[in-house]
Amino acid sequence: MSEYVLELKDVVKTFGGVRALNGVHFQLKKGEIHALMGENGAGKSTFIKVITGVHQPDSGTMLLEGERVTFRNTEDSAKEGIAAIYQHVTSFPDLTVTENIFMGQEIKNKFGFYDWGAMRKKAKELIGPLSSEIDVNKPMGTLSVAAQQLVEIAKALSRDARILIMDEPTASLTRNECLQLYRIAKDLRDKGVSIIFITHRFEDMYELASRVTVFRDSTYVGTWDVDGITNQALVKAMVGRELTAMYPEKTAKIGDVVLEVDDISKEGYFKNVSFNVRRGEILALTGLVGAGRTEVCQNIYGIMTPDSGHIRLEGKEVHIKSPIDALALGIGLLPENRQTEGLVNELPIYQNVSSSTMKQFVKGGQLDVAAEMENAITLCKKIQLKANDITAPPSSLSGGNQQKVVVAKMLSAEQKVLIMDEPTKGIDVGAKYSIYEIMNDLACRGYAIIMVSSEMPEVLGVADRIVVMKAGRVTAEFDDVKSTTQEMILEASLKERSATA
Amino acid sequence: MKKLLRSRNTGLIVVLLILLAAAKILTPTLFTKFMLINTLQNNAIYALLAVGEFVVILTGGIDISIASQLAFVGIICTKISCANPGVPGIVFFIFSILLGALCGALNGFLVGYLHMVPMICTLGTMYIYRGLAFLVSGGEWWFAAKYVDSYRWWAIGKVFGIPMLVWWVVLIMIVIGIFLGFTAPGRRIYAIGTSRESSAVAGIKEPKVTFYAFTICGAMAGLAGMLNTANYAIGYYGMAESFEMTAIAICVLGGTAITGGKGRMDGVALGVIIMAVINSFISMIPGMSVWQKALQGGIIIVAVAINYFTERSAERQALRERGALI
Amino acid sequence: MPGSNYDRDLSVKEGFVLSKFLVKWEMILVYILVLLNLILAVFRSDLFFQKGTIQSIINAGLDVSPLVLGMVFILLLGDIDVSVASQMILGGMVTGLLMDKGVPWVIAVICGILICMVCGAFNGFCVAFIKMPAVITTISTSMLYRGIVEIILGENSLKNFPKWYNKIGWFNVGPIPLSMILFLIMGVIFCFILHRTPFGRKVYIVGNNPTCANYSGISVFKIKMEVFILMGFMAGIGSIFFIGRMGGGVSSSMGTGYEMTAIACAVLGGISTNGGKGKMYGPIIATFIMAFLTYTLGLLGVDPNSKKIFTGVILIITILISTINKQMIKDIKLRTLYHSNKNIEALNDRTNEQIKDLKKQIAACRKSGKSQEISKLQGQIASLKKECDAESAKLWEEQKADEARAKARYSAK
Repeated sequence: MSEYVLELKDVVKTFGGVRALNGVHFQLKKGEIHALMGENGAGKSTFIKVITGVHQPDSGTMLLEGERVTFRNTEDSAKEGIAAIYQHVTSFPDLTVTENIFMGQEIKNKFGFYDWGAMRKKAKELIGPLSSEIDVNKPMGTLSVAAQQLVEIAKALSRDARILIMDEPTASLTRNECLQLYRIAKDLRDKGVSIIFITHRFEDMYELASRVTVFRDSTYVGTWDVDGITNQALVKAMVGRELTAMYPEKTAKIGDVVLEVDDISKEGYFKNVSFNVRRGEILALTGLVGAGRTEVCQNIYGIMTPDSGHIRLEGKEVHIKSPIDALALGIGLLPENRQTEGLVNELPIYQNVSSSTMKQFVKGGQLDVAAEMENAITLCKKIQLKANDITAPPSSLSGGNQQKVVVAKMLSAEQKVLIMDEPTKGIDVGAKYSIYEIMNDLACRGYAIIMVSSEMPEVLGVADRIVVMKAGRVTAEFDDVKSTTQEMILEASLKERSATA
Repeated sequence: MKKLLRSRNTGLIVVLLILLAAAKILTPTLFTKFMLINTLQNNAIYALLAVGEFVVILTGGIDISIASQLAFVGIICTKISCANPGVPGIVFFIFSILLGALCGALNGFLVGYLHMVPMICTLGTMYIYRGLAFLVSGGEWWFAAKYVDSYRWWAIGKVFGIPMLVWWVVLIMIVIGIFLGFTAPGRRIYAIGTSRESSAVAGIKEPKVTFYAFTICGAMAGLAGMLNTANYAIGYYGMAESFEMTAIAICVLGGTAITGGKGRMDGVALGVIIMAVINSFISMIPGMSVWQKALQGGIIIVAVAINYFTERSAERQALRERGALI
Repeated sequence: MPGSNYDRDLSVKEGFVLSKFLVKWEMILVYILVLLNLILAVFRSDLFFQKGTIQSIINAGLDVSPLVLGMVFILLLGDIDVSVASQMILGGMVTGLLMDKGVPWVIAVICGILICMVCGAFNGFCVAFIKMPAVITTISTSMLYRGIVEIILGENSLKNFPKWYNKIGWFNVGPIPLSMILFLIMGVIFCFILHRTPFGRKVYIVGNNPTCANYSGISVFKIKMEVFILMGFMAGIGSIFFIGRMGGGVSSSMGTGYEMTAIACAVLGGISTNGGKGKMYGPIIATFIMAFLTYTLGLLGVDPNSKKIFTGVILIITILISTINKQMIKDIKLRTLYHSNKNIEALNDRTNEQIKDLKKQIAACRKSGKSQEISKLQGQIASLKKECDAESAKLWEEQKADEARAKARYSAK
């Protein structure tokens, strides 16, 4: 019998050329809560999908109580007692709580029919200790996120899980709900269930975990006892680079206010958000994922329109109803998900670059392809795109170069304000540096840049000013970046709502 | 009470009552026992097809080849029966279900395992089955005189004064309803229609579910083929042309979401009844018969549009609730 | 600055490559077309070389051609329109009714086309604004439009159409059918619109990735509306071709199934129903293929109804061919050859890479004539293969053992 209930060695997983996991290790003891931490895109989510058999690793071994196992699908892992609660709750909103719990492992009576009575009874037994308020006959979609998570836990318990994986369960819970979840997790641990707890929040880790493993850029960094590691050491492990050498020197001169966002709200997303950005300035908009940063940007860019509030461009109030308006006014957006929002993967690079500025290349009702290519080549050279030629599709490029194509697309029109939503998400260190250089260069040319980022070192290294959001509201603004620390930002992005809000 | 008001079926029942009231005034003969039974019998084939289509739509797919399957299976049954008058009807009853299931299984295989787009795949098989129907029939038409009684009994024979055809529809609706509502494979059809991603996580094999959904649909179409020929005592390769549209219309009318995962058998039953009332209504009023197609088309488009608007308002409601969190 | 001396030539390097051009889908369609002609020429040489046969084949097959051109745009958006045949009949009816009333033919024809455009706009509105699925929208509008024709015409048919209608279906300019000339002119215009104008580019972008289109400042609503209205316009043109072919008459039951033929032609021409993929040339050739196919089969003694089987089979096979890609082949290989074991797959892939490298070296050696090196390298390949096979077998054994143990564990529970 091995010391570890679950052990992974040298696991590699690639998706179409992009390494999502690069030889990671992991060891889970029996009856422990093990925190798994890392920045966005560090490979945590892929990692749990490998454990549960959603994805098969390209190579590497997985040992379960010392015995090698391969999971072809989630059924295999479920049989071994592994259950996962995913970040985006994967439930069937139209089906009832009972059905959600038993989907895939239904209780049948002797005629092969659903035994609704037995299932309801069992569901109540499972849910009861977790929460007394959940009605097992209600459709899943009518429950709050916290309640849905509890149902997912009940689902895991119904499968006699001995290893439970929770992917950022506290990300969208209130303080009280978190406390409840802690209690449940501890109960389970005491019953002998081993838990892998993925989280962004140090609070969760200190409260629950006995050990912590850190991933960074798809690789394994290390495992520590929670008692034996300091906050700083952990942050460094997660971020892993020296701040000074990583970011180019800022040279831009900061001018007047270009864009002013005044008290805008959008129901269900954010409330009373105000900030401004100046010529030549890089403003960082930070906070945790789901804090409403992306939505604020989308409202400025016209993907959505705010319910109330004003947006002023160079002192004049503007009403932006669609991205067409935004582009006409000189506001550009580098979207968060380059695959779905920024690129048309099937079309050649040059067509992607000119997709928002096609008008420039129309000659006599016809697209002047030669001029279009010329323009794309100039832009791509400027940002040092590494591609075979300009007619290659973006899907043939690496993540960093794909992002550069989106940047080139944004640069093909003259603009005043650039919004860059997670511009360095999921791209390698070298490519990150060149993106920073481009941003710096743009700032020098007088662009006002709003950068949304979850990576604190990046925020501190690049921005001239920092605005922090939490749960749809601005919680802090730091004008003096030099004296701001990661802890200060973290504190602001975790700040609890005051009772009056 | 609130729930009852919000339920779609309540709305449908109100529509139905209004229609019936109008029918009562305009065409008093509708409410004779003969007319009622006749109406049910005339629309039973649509009901069978609709049940099959319903199962496929629940997975998020669509099958436009069912009318061709109906013709294909119907012709084969007719031809064999006419050549061998001694074979008892039950043989054809079972044979039609099996042959239909085979036709459906081909669709299911192409869509489920080879990942073809359901619309285009069934467009192709629609041609194929219709062509096969012609090939088998050799262009020949069969009329009442050629049909044997034991064959026809399965549709027009009466039990408790109600034709067998209607009994089959009732029976099948109950069986499929129980299958969808109370068995694991049935609930999995709903599951893959709701969310393929969640299904994969729950360990549900999507190709397999798609495969048997189409197979069931084919079985229904096959049975409808045999019963259609038995009911009208006429068989030719072009029969039931564009019946698939009516079947889809019934499903949508009954509140089935065309994107899959949502819909109930009682809704489909209501859809059938409303469609039946509209059809008979049209046939009763002189000069109205030409309105049938336009009305059906208009009704579906309005029904789908209403579905979409209610869905969107539900989304907005959900957002508002989330907004309360901020 | 790091890499400031870095300069990469991004300009297009690869010019025209004949071998690639010859295996393009459009070229394959041309081969099929030629093959069909050969079959016809060999088996029915009496008819094939008779004057007028080819012309009548083309005339017979091209009445659907305007619908194909419009359908390409619809499919490129990732939508579908099955109401086109009904629109066509509705447009034809309007023209016919106005002609009956004594309205000048110019106005009658324009009104017919306009009504089709209105129909298209209604479809577009439902799809782009209400965001209803195109399939269900157009299924119901196809019933609606045809239903309107039924209401107005009932069992009657209209016979009064401009005289030149018939010419489109039957007249030849010298040896070339008029319908073909018109179709090719329209085809060139449509090629221009799709491949040379901003509008065509936008159609591709919306079809491939509507979200990205929205972010790039392209109005998805506007493009969809425009395409559906264009489809309506082509349905109006289609009504002229159709009525001309039918000898100048229209009734409510005519033209059923034309929408399916149009879709089949477009799909056969390489347009993906998922949107965004395909060129205009393919469907133009495919329209001719469809014409020759139906006619050839007819001349070979296959009756028109059984021809549907061929159409269906061809449609399905074409789409299946287009879905086969590298990933699929890899998956099948993994499942059949490597026992679903990713470790074995990784090992084999690695070995294959090495062998490929060695083979390149061998080729290089051949050129320089080093025969000794060759045999050494070949020996290396053999040993690599052997090693890989042995390793794979070992992994497979291990996997089997693991599975057996896992099974034992389940049953113990």
